[in-house]
Amino acid sequence: MDTLALANSWIVYLVCAVVVLYVFFLCILYLRQGLRRAKELGISQDAIRSTIRSSAGFSIAPSIPIILALMAMMGVLGIPFPWMRLSIIGSFQYELMTANIGASAMGVTQLGSAHMTPQVLANSFWVMTLGIPWGMLLSIFTMRRFASGLDQARKKDATKLTLIITALYFGMLSVFVGPPLVQGGLPLYTLLVSAATFLVLNALAKRSRIGWLSDYVFTFSMLGGMVFSVLISL
Amino acid sequence: MKNIHTLGERSLVGMLILMVGAPMVISVYYNIFPPAGAFLSGFLQAAMIYLPIAIAEYFTFVPILGPGGSYLAFVTGNLTNLKIPAAVVAMDQAGVKSGTEEGAVIAQISVAISSMVTIGVVFVGMLMVLPLQPLLSSPVLAPAFDNILPALFGALGAHFFSQHRKLAVVPLLSTVILAALVIYVLKLNFSSIQGVLIPILGVISVVSALYFYRIGWIKKEDIE
Repeated sequence: MDTLALANSWIVYLVCAVVVLYVFFLCILYLRQGLRRAKELGISQDAIRSTIRSSAGFSIAPSIPIILALMAMMGVLGIPFPWMRLSIIGSFQYELMTANIGASAMGVTQLGSAHMTPQVLANSFWVMTLGIPWGMLLSIFTMRRFASGLDQARKKDATKLTLIITALYFGMLSVFVGPPLVQGGLPLYTLLVSAATFLVLNALAKRSRIGWLSDYVFTFSMLGGMVFSVLISL
Repeated sequence: MKNIHTLGERSLVGMLILMVGAPMVISVYYNIFPPAGAFLSGFLQAAMIYLPIAIAEYFTFVPILGPGGSYLAFVTGNLTNLKIPAAVVAMDQAGVKSGTEEGAVIAQISVAISSMVTIGVVFVGMLMVLPLQPLLSSPVLAPAFDNILPALFGALGAHFFSQHRKLAVVPLLSTVILAALVIYVLKLNFSSIQGVLIPILGVISVVSALYFYRIGWIKKEDIE
């Protein structure tokens, strides 16, 4: 059987669909559990609605490059397996890199070359799968203790914990702000346009008191930056 | 299931079984098991790169998301470009703090919604991959997708850095120095080592913030 035909066969679609369905089902479980806890804690319905609107709107644009990743991988690994992998843990860079590692460990230096046999494909699938369960394993074995440790820290000094968490988040933000600042060019202009769009829209949302606008300020700012990058490159 | 840890542990064990089950079923059905040596060599290479990153990410992201959001985010992935920003923005809108129970619940709802949207978008993309290909891979739209991270982090930075200016000084200076070093001196592809830089900048940012807090330059009201 041709390697690509195997990668696109019904059984691969079936097992991958089961995994994606399970993950979608988990999302519903966590959502329901979260909504129940929110009610118990007395979080307002408005805050919940705003969370749902802002998170949903925010997530559309950054999901589209994942489709591009699927397009880049489907010629070699078929459609269903990359679709499943990209719907769950990992990222485009991770999946492509481990697929490559899996293939090169079998002496195939370039994914998609004529030497791609079903066995090479299977090795890529296995390495993609087993190379990245660490976050889940750590969660299963250490989350209880880690979370109660964080609770203790909050009881001891809430300000200090907030400071540490904010600083961790700022560290992560900085990682992505640094390269455009240093490299300049289109990434820098996009960053600045999106930042400026945010500041304008945010001020507008606060002044006009249009409730829904504040839920989409980040989404619109991000889209503003992206639209700008297209227009300036025309 | 009342307890989030019970839900978390059970759902993740189920996920691990299904995740490993996928290549297992394919291998058994077609009788194509890779040779053990080739698999081990590939696995060790991948683990050597991703195990240290995963450990550092775990300790960076769990305090931000809280347990519920973290369990689900480690299943659904795309933390830095989707789950963390979505959750932090949601907590900010709702006026709750990371590290509190209210914050954790908002983050959990946010991660669930964000994951469902991503799964939906990728599903539609999978179904329509052929008609979408000319559109999404057109050179006209390429700059938008190439610059999605600057567009995302420009807006996030504008908001959060201006909210807590004093906390932003050291991480911003450090990232400029590190990025210049990586790009111009080491000549590495920046995106390939992003995963390593997140914990490094996290530690620099935390240590400096704690120092400023101790000497009194950052005060309680700067963080509230």
